Amino acid sequence: MSADNDQQAREQLIDLAAQFYDQFELGEIPHMSVPTRTKNNIEYSEELNVWVYGDRESTRSANSVRGARKLLKAVYTIEFLADQLEQDRSSTLRELYYLSESWDNKEAQFNDQDESNGLIEDLEIVSGVTREDFHMRPEESGAKVMGPLRIREQTNRGDRDIHCQLDVGQGGYQIPNNPDTIEFLDNDAEFVLCVETGGMRDRLVENGFDEEYDALIVHLGGQPARATRRLTKRLHDELDLPVTVFADGDPWSYRIYGSVAYGSIKSAHLSEYLATPEAQYIGIQPADIVEYDLPTDPLSDSDINALESELEDPRFQTDYWEEQIELQLEIGKKSEQQSLAARGLDFVTDTYLPERLSEMGVL
Amino acid sequence: MTSFQSTLEDEAGIAEELAESQQAISIAEFFEKNKHMLGFDSGARGLVTAVKEAVDNALDAAEEASILPDIYVEIEEAGDYYRLIVEDNGPGLTKETLPKVFGKLLYGSRFHAREQSRGQQGIGISAAVLYAQLTSGKPAKITSRTQGASEAEYFELIVDTDENEPEISVEETTTWDRPHGTRIVLEMEANMRARNQLHDYIKHTAVVNPHARLELREPQEHFKFERATDQLPEETEEIRPHPHGVELGTVMKMLSATDSQTVSGFLQEEFTRVGKKSAESIIDEFRDRHYGREMRWRPPASHEDIDLRSSITDATVNKGADATDAFADAIVDAVDDRDRIAHHELLAVVDSAADDVESEHGTTFGDTVRENAVDVVWRALIDAPGDDATGEGDETVDFDEDDVDSESRLVADLYALADDATSTRKDDEVIHAFAERLAAKFEDEREEGDEDALTRHRLTHKRLRSFVDRAADLTEEYDDVSFGDTARENVLEAVWGVMATVPDDPPLVREFKGDRDAASNLVDGMRETDIMAPPTRCLAPITEELISAGLEKEFEADFYSSATRDAEVHGGDPFIVEAGIAYGGDLEAEGSADVMRFANRVPLVYQRGACATTDVVKSIGWRNYGLDQPGGSGLPNGPAVIMVHVASTNVPFTSESKDAVANVPAIEDEIELAIREAARELKSYLNKRRSMQQRRKKQNVLGKILPEMATKVAEVTERDEPDIDDAIARIMNNVLVERSLEENGTSQAVTVTVENNSNTSESLEITDIVSAEPTGLPDDATVVEMDGEWFVKWEPDVSSGEDAALEYEVADDAEFDLDVKGVETEKLTVTDQ
Repeated sequence: MSADNDQQAREQLIDLAAQFYDQFELGEIPHMSVPTRTKNNIEYSEELNVWVYGDRESTRSANSVRGARKLLKAVYTIEFLADQLEQDRSSTLRELYYLSESWDNKEAQFNDQDESNGLIEDLEIVSGVTREDFHMRPEESGAKVMGPLRIREQTNRGDRDIHCQLDVGQGGYQIPNNPDTIEFLDNDAEFVLCVETGGMRDRLVENGFDEEYDALIVHLGGQPARATRRLTKRLHDELDLPVTVFADGDPWSYRIYGSVAYGSIKSAHLSEYLATPEAQYIGIQPADIVEYDLPTDPLSDSDINALESELEDPRFQTDYWEEQIELQLEIGKKSEQQSLAARGLDFVTDTYLPERLSEMGVL
Repeated sequence: MTSFQSTLEDEAGIAEELAESQQAISIAEFFEKNKHMLGFDSGARGLVTAVKEAVDNALDAAEEASILPDIYVEIEEAGDYYRLIVEDNGPGLTKETLPKVFGKLLYGSRFHAREQSRGQQGIGISAAVLYAQLTSGKPAKITSRTQGASEAEYFELIVDTDENEPEISVEETTTWDRPHGTRIVLEMEANMRARNQLHDYIKHTAVVNPHARLELREPQEHFKFERATDQLPEETEEIRPHPHGVELGTVMKMLSATDSQTVSGFLQEEFTRVGKKSAESIIDEFRDRHYGREMRWRPPASHEDIDLRSSITDATVNKGADATDAFADAIVDAVDDRDRIAHHELLAVVDSAADDVESEHGTTFGDTVRENAVDVVWRALIDAPGDDATGEGDETVDFDEDDVDSESRLVADLYALADDATSTRKDDEVIHAFAERLAAKFEDEREEGDEDALTRHRLTHKRLRSFVDRAADLTEEYDDVSFGDTARENVLEAVWGVMATVPDDPPLVREFKGDRDAASNLVDGMRETDIMAPPTRCLAPITEELISAGLEKEFEADFYSSATRDAEVHGGDPFIVEAGIAYGGDLEAEGSADVMRFANRVPLVYQRGACATTDVVKSIGWRNYGLDQPGGSGLPNGPAVIMVHVASTNVPFTSESKDAVANVPAIEDEIELAIREAARELKSYLNKRRSMQQRRKKQNVLGKILPEMATKVAEVTERDEPDIDDAIARIMNNVLVERSLEENGTSQAVTVTVENNSNTSESLEITDIVSAEPTGLPDDATVVEMDGEWFVKWEPDVSSGEDAALEYEVADDAEFDLDVKGVETEKLTVTDQ
């Protein structure tokens, strides 16, 4: 988090404002084009191995009252962010929303937080600067890591060296909002195991899975925060560790895997920076439901819709996923990670994971 | 009851006693006691009604003489009373008629005329005179000068209520500055509490009579309504009554008054839209009702064991073999040629056969021979036993007397009809039993007045119905099945349908007199016959143009529309409904819209809630037309005036005071259509106005936001404020492309207007895709047809601040799709609806 970096981010924001300025001067109607952030507008980049936005763009133009309001808010937000960078402060997305209440111009105030979040995404895309570099934090903090890894984190209170197994409690090491402030010192890890639910993470830690197999257990906590995804990518790229994802056996969990591996639709402009295309999916696979005869719930209508929509999602158009999703639609069932407990509390660490990881060639 | 009767018996003189107190009441006396019926129920209302009656009379009088009306109304306080003065520039009244017009109730030229006029009964103005004399005791003072007369007549008169005749107290000649016209001065007990209604009446009168000049001076205010047009309403013509609208009493009166001898002549002479053909149709309907129809039976089929030929030859004696054979052949051929034959048709067949054979063979075929032939054939057709009384007929009918149970021909025939007419669910057995019973009714039928004569099977519809009902009732009773109303009705109509109208001559007109039943049958026949709608030259609608002109004259609004419907008929009287709407401007925005009601150009100011017009206005969903309507029904809110004019030779009012139009469905339908027609224009106006408002709103908001944005951008970039004028101009100064449609019967006139608000000259490429073939295109437009769509191409050059328009005609159900190129989208606003 160097001053240079901040300076660059600030300049890029001001360039954006200058662009509006020039449009005014040229007698053009001020406008800003951003890629359309929908499923239909993401495509696979052969070059980067991740999914990025396609060519479709939405234009925010001052030609309409709505568009003009959006641009006015954008300019006010640019000013705020530029000031924040100058003063080396940071704020959360929610704080930005409330902060707009203090702006002198009523027209520039946000109606709800979705609007301010969306605007920050717009600005990220148009300026090419990430939110973290604007010093904008999300509300929820990044998740936790447990495993044989020693890091150095730059904090407001100086650098701290932390071992993610020895120096931390049962809860593990808290990933900071901007994981780029972390430096990896050394490690004994063999692979990264991303776990969807807190319950399963705690089970693995209690059973000492990280110690036994030298695994770095990363808790995803539902849809992973950007920081979690960024750290995972860095662990893969910088430490050359294989990344695996262990989630529930339902369509929503596949999307969690998808966002780790391929990037999410809303942040496809950052896929290159956040996605780990080499990440492998452990399970629960629909095939596991059949093979291990796991306790199940029937698929709900929304599950079926989600599965069908995944079949059309470009990120899931591989043989493996088509086979698994079609199998699941056929059996009409889903299982949670913790359903493995039906075979005993140690089944997951003694049998399931070692078997799956060997199959995948990780162990 | 019984006790009363016994009293009567005891005192036989009571009827005489009662009779002594019975006496005739004059109409004037009657009015004296029932003032409210004519709108004189209170002092406030009485004044308005008197003004109304006097002004209506004045307008009618002037228009009839083709004079542009100029009417002066003055109301002044005169001690305890009010003095009403109404002066017009009409043709004036002669010395002879004047006293009767003002001093005799039910005297007028209008009552018997089928022509649109304001007054009808001849009650109005004399009732006002009567009201004045009753309340103030003062006579009416009337001055009248006829055109060209050197002096005016002056009368003071009252109505003699006992005699219903004018009682003149002063009669003299005088001088008057008007060259012609009439002036009436009435003093009456009154008050000005109904001032609003009075003003409304005068103002509304001015709206629907744009050709009239009106002036009102009352104690507090003074209005003048100038003419909007010099065009008098079209002169109306009196028409004869339409057959669909007259009642029995009227027809009987007409029958006794007509000069015509025959009914046909009477119908053609006395009614409108009745020519020879319609008269014949009416008479046929009359015959069916008056004489009934004759049943037509099927001629014998080949498989039936009936030898008509030998029966005829047997019945024909002393005519020579050749002639007899020829006679029999001609009859049998003619009968066989027919599907069915009725008795009178058989008579004609036999007569024509006899005439032919007579001329060919020189043998005379007298009445007896002809009658015998008819008799044997008819017997065969209806399966009647031979008639012993006629001697020659004996043995002639090939009728198997032994087999009395064998089925009658009538049964088979009626079975076929009934089976076709009833639902397939009915059991054959049941239908058969029913047909047998119905046939029995026919067999039992006897000729009226001559019980022994062979029946002709001539039945009225009513009698046939009794046959069917009886047969059905018996079937229900004995066969224990239901034979419902629908089945009965179907059978009845099927049988009636094959029966033949008889050729009997209708009675002469004089024979109708006093024959109430025959006259009633004639009226029914007139109602049943399809007759063209009455002509409309007896009506004088205000016309769309003048409705708008009238509204524009009296209301400062932003928008006016109007609609005049085609004439329709209700109860023999043609009527036309017109509607007009004014919106916005200085009209009162608070509360509900004003509804102005008119009948024959007379404003209706009382009993708004009882009027069909109000009901229709309330029933319309005004939200569809862009007006606010709380709860989605009732009177709409907002700055609007809705006017409805019903013009007819006989407007149906709810009462004699003529305050409200009665709820007649035919008229209500037309009122609704007229209002909707005018409201459609209002809707497109309001839509346009709304889109202009949105545009203005957008301009206001952008006009605020963009400068703020520019300031902020300058702050952030630390530069001087940018010049945003061009960008704003770009956003605001759009090129507007608009479509407007004007309905024109079954087609519509389309206008595509380009309005260049920008500061540069624009060249547009406009393509209008139309779903029907456009006509009347200007030279600079081209049209290409592709797959049932017409592509109208038009490339106008429009300089800054200028307009251009493309106009054409197309069918009214056509759809459009407008595509505009050549102008940057930021600068373009297309309003296509």
